[in-house]
Amino acid sequence: MAKEVTLDCMGEACPVPLIKTEKALEKLEKGDVLVVQIDHSCAMKNVPEWARKQGHNVEIEEVDDGEWELFIEKV
Amino acid sequence: MKFFDKLKNNENYKKWFKDAFPYVVGALLLSFFQIVTFASTGNPWGVSGVLANWGAWLFRAVGGSVDNWYYFSTPGAQATLQRGVLMDPGSWRNIGIIVGALLATLLASGFKIKKIKSGKQVVAAVLGGLLMGYGARIAAGCNIGALYSGISSLSVSGWVFGLFLLGGAIVGSKLLTKFFL
Repeated sequence: MAKEVTLDCMGEACPVPLIKTEKALEKLEKGDVLVVQIDHSCAMKNVPEWARKQGHNVEIEEVDDGEWELFIEKV
Repeated sequence: MKFFDKLKNNENYKKWFKDAFPYVVGALLLSFFQIVTFASTGNPWGVSGVLANWGAWLFRAVGGSVDNWYYFSTPGAQATLQRGVLMDPGSWRNIGIIVGALLATLLASGFKIKKIKSGKQVVAAVLGGLLMGYGARIAAGCNIGALYSGISSLSVSGWVFGLFLLGGAIVGSKLLTKFFL
């Protein structure tokens, strides 16, 4: 069963969200989804960019003004 | 509110205000305005030196004097301080950065007052700010004045600064992953 894990990166500035995401994804299995909560617009550039470069499926949802949820499916 | 709902999904709005510009566009704009800055003020772009002057003006405003400080002892520094904030191109530029950044985040409807997560974050921010400020003044420039303006003025010092900046960044990120994650 694929599982979904939430990673709280609220209030964190670069490069913390990216490093946290890298570490959290390492622990997951293929097909698992990592939901990263981010409120730092610069991280919304480098985290999806890194994840897509790794080949993962990435979807972005804007939950509020300046708040996003990043859905990363590990491939 | 229908107008804003429509605007939110407008392609041009997304392209110009919502989504981040590509890095190359940013680089071209920075280069262009570096030339404009150099041509119009006679000095390349700098940020942190201006902040030191703001500190001096603030200190003067509360009755202090920096006239005998080594840092402000040069005729150039004295002249800048005498002319005041309103006649200082660097001050206008820094105010522009702050106002511009606020405007950009408001136009993207991305403005948010963030919560402080932990005491650790406060300590790191204060300590980091002090170290950066102190380092920038000791090195006579930050990554803008010393690195970016140095290199674009074809000065070797910019490259030397960059080399040590890279070393600092490597050590800094190792410390970050060790103590913060």
